[in-house]
Amino acid sequence: MAEDNTTEMRTDGGLVPPDDETPTWRERKERTQGLSRLTYEYFERSRREDQDLREESSYVERDVLAFPVWPHELIRNLSIVAFFVGMIFFLSATLPPHIGAAANPSSTPDIILPDWYLYWSFGLLKLGPLNPDLSILGGQKLFADRTYGVLANVVIVGFIAIVPFVNKGSARRPVEQPFWAAVGISGVTFAITISALSIKNLTPMDPHVLFDLTFLLPFVTACISYAVLKTMREGYMYDLNRRYYRLRPPK
Amino acid sequence: MSIERKDDMDHGAWLEEKDLTVIETGFLTALVWLDKRLRLVDYLELLETLYYRVNLQMPKSHTEQYNLDNKFWYWYPLYSLGFFSTVAYLVAAVSGALLGFYYSPATAGDPSTAYNSITFIMQDLNLGFFLRSLHRWSAQVMTAAVFLHMLRVYFTGAYKEPREVNWLVGIILLSLTMVFGYTGYLLPWDQLAYWAGQIGVEMSLSIPLLGEWVAQLMFGGFSLGQATLQRMYILHVFLLPFVVTAVIGIHLALVWMQGIAEPH
Repeated sequence: MAEDNTTEMRTDGGLVPPDDETPTWRERKERTQGLSRLTYEYFERSRREDQDLREESSYVERDVLAFPVWPHELIRNLSIVAFFVGMIFFLSATLPPHIGAAANPSSTPDIILPDWYLYWSFGLLKLGPLNPDLSILGGQKLFADRTYGVLANVVIVGFIAIVPFVNKGSARRPVEQPFWAAVGISGVTFAITISALSIKNLTPMDPHVLFDLTFLLPFVTACISYAVLKTMREGYMYDLNRRYYRLRPPK
Repeated sequence: MSIERKDDMDHGAWLEEKDLTVIETGFLTALVWLDKRLRLVDYLELLETLYYRVNLQMPKSHTEQYNLDNKFWYWYPLYSLGFFSTVAYLVAAVSGALLGFYYSPATAGDPSTAYNSITFIMQDLNLGFFLRSLHRWSAQVMTAAVFLHMLRVYFTGAYKEPREVNWLVGIILLSLTMVFGYTGYLLPWDQLAYWAGQIGVEMSLSIPLLGEWVAQLMFGGFSLGQATLQRMYILHVFLLPFVVTAVIGIHLALVWMQGIAEPH
């Protein structure tokens, strides 16, 4: 086994402990006595039965390259998560939310806001100026502005949903695919700018400038990140290719 | 002729040739009987493997495997975001269940029973102020973690080939998380809640074709009132918890089955 390691790449990437460290079922069985030993003897037979069935069948086990949730991921996560749960308690002890005036249908407040995570959606409702007037309808709009905003939400979510079916291949890192990384960066920027647009009465900026920036900034950040990643790409790819593509050949 | 399947591994004959005591025979017979039905061997094998695994050295981590330590260790905290949002969800569930003991969704009263129960929780209930704070913060943190989790998955290309389905399930979960947050935001029935509800009604009314039906279903009418609050409450404490917990279960099961996508 030790000689094998030096001569050829192990396709399991070392995830499976070497054979000489793992006790075989026979060894485990031999360590026990009494009823538990009997149990093992029976289970050995039972396993052999399964093994025979497996060998008869035409099912082929695939080799999936990923690392296991247990124990690698969960052990690491548990330690990090313990810290973050502490953070939740700390935040809620130090920054408790207060409650505003009771609901009053007869007085509209100056500031109407959903929670922060809905700002992007709220902002998409304010895209009225982009709703085209169609000359074919005599300058009428095809949809009401509100309908247009709701449809914009559907379009955004739909776009996110089809990403795995559009961007295929084995590339994983942003440097491997500068274009898709740029799309992602512009998406993040757009989420931020459209959120700023949704609270334009609170944003200290001329609303027209803000509206233009909402669409300009994502484009700018996309260009910048594309250029940066494209530049970084070669240096990264050299190191990467050596080891990584030997295990996972590009399509 | 018997239709009983011929047993290649004749456990009965094996038992007889072993020359066992009564206790041993009884034990083995029961074991064989149970194992035939429940396939205990699989579960015992799992337990055993776990037992032996914790006593072994940890297998090589991904970064060791690909010699990426120098570049990519700082991605790791981002890999825990999914698990973290699950834990935040559990914290919100427990604190929410406790809050549920004291909250009642009614608009009657001065100014309203719902609002009064929130002020009761905040002012009179022991630890109530902290409890509400904890519920709110864990919800906020969960939402933030879920968004960041999606970004992590996007930028590390983890949604690719075998994991497309889980990406779609994730989008459903993200949407449901926001609905969860929105319905919870409306429950205190203060000014912010009321007018956020108003926006919600207008949004659903502007959906083409289905608008009025959706507004009726979700908000119980075109103007806000008892029906709205009641529906938001039922969505928040009854419907969504079951649905979201089930979808989280599916999401995690798929991750478990497919493994963590390698951080490259």
